[in-house]
Amino acid sequence: MSTERDQMIQHIAELIRKPGMVLDENTPLVSSGLIDSMALVDLLLKLEDLTHKRIPAGKVQPKDMDTVARMFATAERVGKPRK
Amino acid sequence: MFRYANLIEALEAAPGDRPFITVWIDEEESETITFAEFRNVARDQASVYREQGIAAGDRVVIIMPQGIPAMTAFVAAMILGAVPAFLAYPNFKIEPSKYRSGLAGVTANLKAKAVIIDEEFPEEMLECVSLGESAKLLRVGGKASGTDSSLLALAEGGPKIGRESLTFIQHSAGTTGLQKGVALSHAAVLWQIEHLGDALRINGDSDRIYSWLPLYHDMGLIACFMLPMICHIPVVMQSPIDWVMRPESMLQVVSEHKCTLAWMPNFAFQFIPRRTPPARWKEYDLSSLRLLINCSEPVRASSMKEFETAFGLKGGVLQSSYAMAENVFAVTQSDIDHGPATIWADTQQFRSTHKVISVAPHTPGGLAFTSSGTVLSNQKIQILSESGGILGENFVGEIVIQGDCLFEGYYNRPDLTALAMEDGWYHTGDLGFLHECELYVVGRKKDLLIVGGENIYPQDIEEIVASHPAIHDGRVVAMGLYNADLGTEDIVVVAEVESEKLLATATELEPDIRSRIVAALGVAVRRLFLKPPKWIVKSTAGKPARSATREKLLQEHPELDGDVEVRHGESE
Repeated sequence: MSTERDQMIQHIAELIRKPGMVLDENTPLVSSGLIDSMALVDLLLKLEDLTHKRIPAGKVQPKDMDTVARMFATAERVGKPRK
Repeated sequence: MFRYANLIEALEAAPGDRPFITVWIDEEESETITFAEFRNVARDQASVYREQGIAAGDRVVIIMPQGIPAMTAFVAAMILGAVPAFLAYPNFKIEPSKYRSGLAGVTANLKAKAVIIDEEFPEEMLECVSLGESAKLLRVGGKASGTDSSLLALAEGGPKIGRESLTFIQHSAGTTGLQKGVALSHAAVLWQIEHLGDALRINGDSDRIYSWLPLYHDMGLIACFMLPMICHIPVVMQSPIDWVMRPESMLQVVSEHKCTLAWMPNFAFQFIPRRTPPARWKEYDLSSLRLLINCSEPVRASSMKEFETAFGLKGGVLQSSYAMAENVFAVTQSDIDHGPATIWADTQQFRSTHKVISVAPHTPGGLAFTSSGTVLSNQKIQILSESGGILGENFVGEIVIQGDCLFEGYYNRPDLTALAMEDGWYHTGDLGFLHECELYVVGRKKDLLIVGGENIYPQDIEEIVASHPAIHDGRVVAMGLYNADLGTEDIVVVAEVESEKLLATATELEPDIRSRIVAALGVAVRRLFLKPPKWIVKSTAGKPARSATREKLLQEHPELDGDVEVRHGESE
């Protein structure tokens, strides 16, 4: 069974469409230019789905989304249970 | 004629208890400041600046996060007759050394007396803004004290702030390498607001602006800060980063605060509906919106239609405008009673003779163009041929403008000013045509990428890529190609490697080049093509020929040509 983190990595791999590129939970995404700021919302919506949490808009910055590990740490820190 | 002698007098005349700026952080947090409170804070900050030796005419660079303290810091400088300029706040992607050298270039050109930063400015970035003897570094907070007394009294003893005095400098591009500081007088800004206010029938008592636009961009600075300050309109704003991370928040803010006016670049009109789950579209009530204006990117009817349909906007809300920093802001505005017209043209004639021959709407293979409206009063537009002759209606040529809100010139750059101005006409570098007195913007003559409404100089990107040891120096072309899914341009780079065998290592080279671009400019390249030596088409002077290289790339990769696809499929 794949974990939520694996699902996120898979989602990102589909988003960036780079065959042969190996991603793990510590691969820098934003600071490496793999993901641009307009793609962050897709990751945020996916993160909310995977964690079943609502993440308030003003509590997360691009650097909090730079790696999969950071994304899940951010969801843990600022995420709220869904209504 | 204007009611006010300068911008500060306009702010002073605002009703003190009216809310001026509301900063919306998220559904749980927001902050509001009234006009009186704003004046108090700005006045206090002006006193601090004065103690630090800042006086009339001094240039003051402001590097603060989007918010009330940045805005009061800006006005504080104006109160003293000093000339403020906003620059983008450093973001975590940019390498400190690159940020520092870009900033040093801008502040040196402005001969800035001070660089103003906020109290929370990251310690690790301090060395990027501390520029030694040349410009003083000041940290400011945002606490109000004292009472709402006269702002102009502070400037007493100094030179009078006249209409012709410089009021501020706005920059025309997001990247730093070729930043041109557009110097504006109080009169130019007041004229602009007067013309635009008339065209939009602005009402200080009933209008309320929504904005996520950056303050270092003319749309954010003029339409969403100066216009509300001069016309006494409340603004509800959020930071561009908060918005881009959750574009749905625009719908939340407009619904919650019953905003009546907003400006957005074209891509936002499809970015918001596509990044908001359709199940939530109906939760928002945008019926308060009087005008939502598409500005700062080429206007696409399909993007506007997508937004209108998703959120059930009433007719006449969606509008368009053509604007630029050099003209303070708007040159044209669509007629708010009718909205922008869309016309259809014969593709073959358009491509071969650069002339618009109208065809029936939705003619298969026809091209659709959406108007940016008619020229504001007291301004003029001409369309020029390549040889400089004035073209009639329906012919495509360079748009040149003249009027009472044109800039004074690029600050400290008479060379660049002379290149852009001819006989009192500003040559915009944009291509367009007039049809029944409406302006249609169709492309660009100058080398510029517009991504999400922000201007990026291709030379900045090319220089970084060319400095990579595996890339042949000077053999790089950066271009903007329309991405129909995003409704804006993608940055596409094509670069020649030093020798063909290097192509075998492309998978390692590519990430390295990408991260160098991000570290220097903070922008991500969508597609990077590494090509063998001699692939790029050269001009007779031996330099890369941009348009020919672009054509060659599109021939090899037809999937990149989103422009053809969308224009053909565009519907009214």
